[in-house]
Amino acid sequence: MKRIAQILVLAAIVVAACWFWTVLFPTPEAVVRNRLHSLAKNLSFNSQSGMISQALAAQKAADYFTPDVDVDVNVAGYDPLTLHGRDEVQQIAMAARSRLSSLKIEFLDMNVTIDPGGQTAKVNLTGKATIPGQRDISAQEFNFLLKKVDGKWQVYKVETVKTLSEEKVPGARRQLSGKNTMVVTT
Amino acid sequence: MNNMETEAPAARFPAWLRIALVGRNPKRTLLRAAVLAVLCFCFFKFFVFKFIVLPVRVEGNSMFPTYHDRGINFVNRLAYRHTDPQRGDVVGIRMAGPSVMLMKRIVGLPGETIAFEDGRLLINGQAIDEPYLHHHSPAPYLDPVTLGPNEYYVIGDNRMNSDRGRIDRDRIIGKIVL
Repeated sequence: MKRIAQILVLAAIVVAACWFWTVLFPTPEAVVRNRLHSLAKNLSFNSQSGMISQALAAQKAADYFTPDVDVDVNVAGYDPLTLHGRDEVQQIAMAARSRLSSLKIEFLDMNVTIDPGGQTAKVNLTGKATIPGQRDISAQEFNFLLKKVDGKWQVYKVETVKTLSEEKVPGARRQLSGKNTMVVTT
Repeated sequence: MNNMETEAPAARFPAWLRIALVGRNPKRTLLRAAVLAVLCFCFFKFFVFKFIVLPVRVEGNSMFPTYHDRGINFVNRLAYRHTDPQRGDVVGIRMAGPSVMLMKRIVGLPGETIAFEDGRLLINGQAIDEPYLHHHSPAPYLDPVTLGPNEYYVIGDNRMNSDRGRIDRDRIIGKIVL
């Protein structure tokens, strides 16, 4: 029994050491993931935040992008959004805060590919937006392109990925929209 | 008196039943049960519900009336390990990963030429019966499209309000169970 307890303690120490190592020395993929999770957090907001903190958060969110960032967002059911430059991103972030009382952004299923030189990264992810208190969710697949600027990963391009390659039919009788999204509950 | 109070409930059960229910050592039995419960939870949470069947909640109405908004269902991840998806199958289609999926019905198979005319599905020029549709709708319309060797054509049952399009085989996570 004592032997088993010793083995268990040893195993726990090894696991803790491994975890501590990954915290101290994260892989570039983990750094990019954390950076995008942090961006999602800064893009999210709730009604309890004051005007100044909202403006600061929008400014902070804009800092995750390069000054010449290109954003092309096309989510079903919403108008397409094309932005150029960090200032426009900040304006849109502020505008969203004035139009909605709260918004929760999540980046899920991040597939990170770092280029061999370690200076640029491509992240394929699912962006999910929910308005707390409302049932509807919006989910869309995106590619985020990042590059290292002064040692920090910054987004220089955001593009929408069409999960279904819908046929563009000239003279189509009806433009279809709406989707059935399934969210894994565990 | 105290002894009588504590012994009274135990005396109501025969010894064999008590042993069957809580064992000879109730504390150890409880510990064993707790460990078993944790192991079962981990087994289902990290294995069964991750690699075999994914529990999902349906959002939206593009598969209405076959599947309702807010319904609970499962995606069988092993359904297409040894067979290919078939026409009429309702499948889960991944976005960047399995956290959020689209739920659509397969109507076109690899290599086929698919078209919609006045809401009727045409495969290689032939009208196909779709028994899973509850009512006929005039939508959609689609000029003939030939699918690639690894492509499927998917659409929701609520034809008036559904995204549609081609998907690669590797985007299909599995088949809807219920």
